[in-house]
Order: sequence, then C-alpha cells, then structure tokens
Amino acid sequence: MTGSSVLRRYVAAVAEAHAELTRLDQASGDGDFGDNLRAGLERVARELDATGSTGHGFEVAGRVFLDEVGGTSGPLFGLLFSEIARALDHDPATGWAEGTAAGLAAIRRVGEAEPGDRTLLDALAPASAELARPGEGAFRRAARAAAAGAHATATMRARQGRASYVGARALGVPDPGAMGIALLFWCLAAVQDPPAPPSPLAHPT
Amino acid sequence: MSRPFLPGADPVGAALRGFARAHAGLVELSEDPVHLRARERDPRRSVGLVSGGGSGHEPLHAGFLGRGMLDAVAPGQVFASPHNRQVLHASRAAAGSGGVLHVVKNYTGDRINFGIAAERLRHEGIEVRRVLVDDDLATDSEQTATGRRGTGATVVVEKLLGAAADEGRGLDELADLGAAFAAASRSLAVAARAQTSPHTGSPAFDLGPAELEYGVGIHGERAAKTVDRPPLEELLPRMVDELLAALPPGPDDLLVLVNGLGATTQLELYAIFERVAADLDARGLDIRESLVGTFVPALDMAGFSLTLTRLHDGWSQWWRAPARTPAFPCQDQEAIR
Repeated sequence: MTGSSVLRRYVAAVAEAHAELTRLDQASGDGDFGDNLRAGLERVARELDATGSTGHGFEVAGRVFLDEVGGTSGPLFGLLFSEIARALDHDPATGWAEGTAAGLAAIRRVGEAEPGDRTLLDALAPASAELARPGEGAFRRAARAAAAGAHATATMRARQGRASYVGARALGVPDPGAMGIALLFWCLAAVQDPPAPPSPLAHPT
Repeated sequence: MSRPFLPGADPVGAALRGFARAHAGLVELSEDPVHLRARERDPRRSVGLVSGGGSGHEPLHAGFLGRGMLDAVAPGQVFASPHNRQVLHASRAAAGSGGVLHVVKNYTGDRINFGIAAERLRHEGIEVRRVLVDDDLATDSEQTATGRRGTGATVVVEKLLGAAADEGRGLDELADLGAAFAAASRSLAVAARAQTSPHTGSPAFDLGPAELEYGVGIHGERAAKTVDRPPLEELLPRMVDELLAALPPGPDDLLVLVNGLGATTQLELYAIFERVAADLDARGLDIRESLVGTFVPALDMAGFSLTLTRLHDGWSQWWRAPARTPAFPCQDQEAIR
C-alpha cells in the first residue's frame, strides 16, 4: 500500500515545516496550528508503529485528528483524512480523487466557507479539481494547484475564523491551514508520481 | 480585585460534578468526553435535543436538561466551544428513532464543532439537523459574514422546541420550528461593568461610573459603542424601540425575557421588567408570556439583556408546557389568571 507511505512522508514534511507554519499562524491566528498539526501527525505515526498497520493508515489519522487534536483546523483535517480512508477502502484506484472530493464537500458544509475566503479550502478545492480531471500526471497537477492555491491566500481577506478578526492585517501571508493542505498533496505526488515536485514552501508561485 | 470562588485546577469540571450531584435525580454526567444527559424524557419524543457551548453562561445549557427541554448537552471551557467529540457523544446518547437536533448559538467555534459532530453522526446513520440561534441585534450587520451572535433567545428556543418535540414531531419539522422561533426573536444587552476575568481577578475591560456598554455580548467582548449612561426611563424605551424595529413582522403577542448578565439583582431585573411591560402596554402590544431572572449570563457581568419574541399560534402553549429541569421555572399560569 502506498497510503501509509504518504502519511509517513507527511509526518516528516510537517515536522520540517513546523517553524514556518507557526510563523504563518502567528501572523493571522493564535499561533498553535503548526504545533497541533505536528503533534497530531506524530501521534498518528506512533499508533501506526504500535499496530504495525500495513494499510493506508488514513482511518487512524482521521480518528486521531477528529478526537484528539485541538483547535478547529485539526478536526477539519480529520474530516478529510476520514473521507480519504473511506474512499481508499472502497476503491484504491479512485480513492484519492473520491476521498478528496468528499472531504472538500464535508469541510465546506462544516466550515460554511467557500474558496476565496482565505481558508484551507483555497488549497483543497484546486487539488480536488485536478485529481478529478482525467489525463496524465494528476497527482503532480494536484500538488502544484494546491501550492498555488495556498500562496494565493496571501492576497485574500478572511471572512471566517480567527483570521477574520485581524482583517487586512493578515494580508501578505499565506493561510497556514491552506499551506498544511498543500504539503499533504506535495507528499502524495512525491509518493505516487516521483520525483517530488518543488516544495510548496520553497517555491512561492 | 475580586477573584471568583473557583478551585485553581479544572474549575469547570468541579462545577459540573457539583451540578450533577446536586441534581442527581434529573441529570447524569459523563467525564470522558465531558457531557451531561437528562435522566428522563417524554416517551412520545422521537428526536433528541442537544445543545452546548462555552461555560460561564450558567444555568445555560445544563440547567435546561430534563423532561420537556434538552436531552443532552456538551459544555466547553469558560467561553470556549466544546470539542466535537463531546458533541458526538452527547448526540449519540440523546438520539431517538427520529434522530437528533442540535441547538447552536451562532459562534464560529460552536458552528464548526457541532458541524463536525454532525458529519460523524451521519456516517453512523444518525440523522441530524441544526437550529442556529442568532438573536443579538448589536451584531446585525451586512459587513460581516459571521452574522448575529446567539444570546438570550437560546432559552426561549430550547423551551419551545422541547415542548414541540414532546408532541412526537419529526426532525425536519422541529428544525423548521426552531428556525422560526429564532427568527421571531431579537435581543439587546447593556453592561455597566465587565465580568471578572478568572485569571486576573480584575474586570475584563474598564468602564467609567457614568458609562454604559451598549450592545454587549456574553463573552466579555466590548460592545460596538460605549455611551453616557442614561437613566432607566430613557434607556429602556430606546432598547424597546430598537428591538421592535428589528423584529420581523408578525403577531403583536410577545414573550418578554429580562435576563441578568450575572451580577444584576432580581430587584433590578423585576424593576426593569415592570418598566418594559408598562412601555409595551402603552404601545398596545400584548405581553402574553414573560421570564425574568439570570438565565444566560456572562460570568459576573453587571448588566442585562432584553429579548422579545413574537408568539405565533400555538407557541404560548409550548412555553407553558411542563418542564422538569434544574433551572427552568414553572410556567403554568392557569392558577394565577
């Protein structure tokens, strides 16, 4: 299974990006996003080690992020992981596209936000669109689209969440949640369609 | 400095354990994750009613657990939303054959955490709908996407929904009714002193003796405006004017809630109600139902909120239907009419 390797790679990528995610969240939120994402993923890694899981591991990631991770972004990531798990279990061939689409729909319902509102949807929606589009290189296209979407949030004004309270002051800095999503799709492309594309952090688009 | 009488470690947990013990015949507490359940419900009720939100607004919501009102609640820390896992467990415990209805005050954190729980419940095959309470006039603005805050009308919505649910009504009908109750309600609050911060023991914001915070919320945030404090004779008609202007058109039969924000005495609240009632009488409006007391406070803020609900056909009988809860007063007024 490639799924667990996607998660393993994501654990490492977020550990490396922790300082940058924290810096982004301090500009627009309460600064705990990097901590929450890293701690949640470390816990997922420990549970995968403990159970010796050979599957994709996303059901573990979904449960940990829904049940144990604080803040509002963490559980929203949990919804996405759970939908990916369900879709991969249903059909590994279409699981990433289907699960990402279902996760996007669930997060839209729960967050009552739309693309353009400076949320993680701004990375997730374009990634989902690329995964759904037929043709070569869907994973690499999705990674690039998620990174571009995350960087585009730097020019958006928040309507929801804590960033909405700082208004225009958040301008110029990408949304940390969107960057966290871009990292996930970067890891997915690196595993499914190597070599890894440029990191979303290193290459603003 | 006036630090509250709370234990240093886990004050909310201590209060919840005390509450559950004091009302052991009516409610039951589970601590992992924290939620409370009513021990009894009307056998005709098929839809479980679940609410919750930050602590510091007691008796909301746990005080309204019991036959005739709520089936389960998820309390968060002070002024902080409950975790979705609390809402999930409360909802599982409360769900009836017709599903579960969430009563949510309009705050981003509460909306998201109840929403995540709703997604999880649907995957478990439990039907869920949500009623959003958004009655606060002071946050009625086209400028923001967040909308009006949920405040005093929450107790009105929870009481009316409880009685309607006890008639065996279905989930969709109850969700529509709840939305109608909220839509027919508007509230406005003023404060003369902020609540004491549990951390510092000092007021959360400073107000001069001649000042009034006009349009204050229930989480200790400042109002949009600070005004020179007018005498009650000017203040109350101004609040009533604004509420009546904001209420959507409907019957002239009103429910009036005068709600204390924590440190305001019954002497004050009943005097306020007397003035408001006389004002509404003079305007030719009919006060059909009333509730006076501290039901949705902001810790120990000194102030009050005024809620008006237009009562449509049949709502009065739901308001008066018996409710056996720790905090909702008996509304059976037949004896005194």
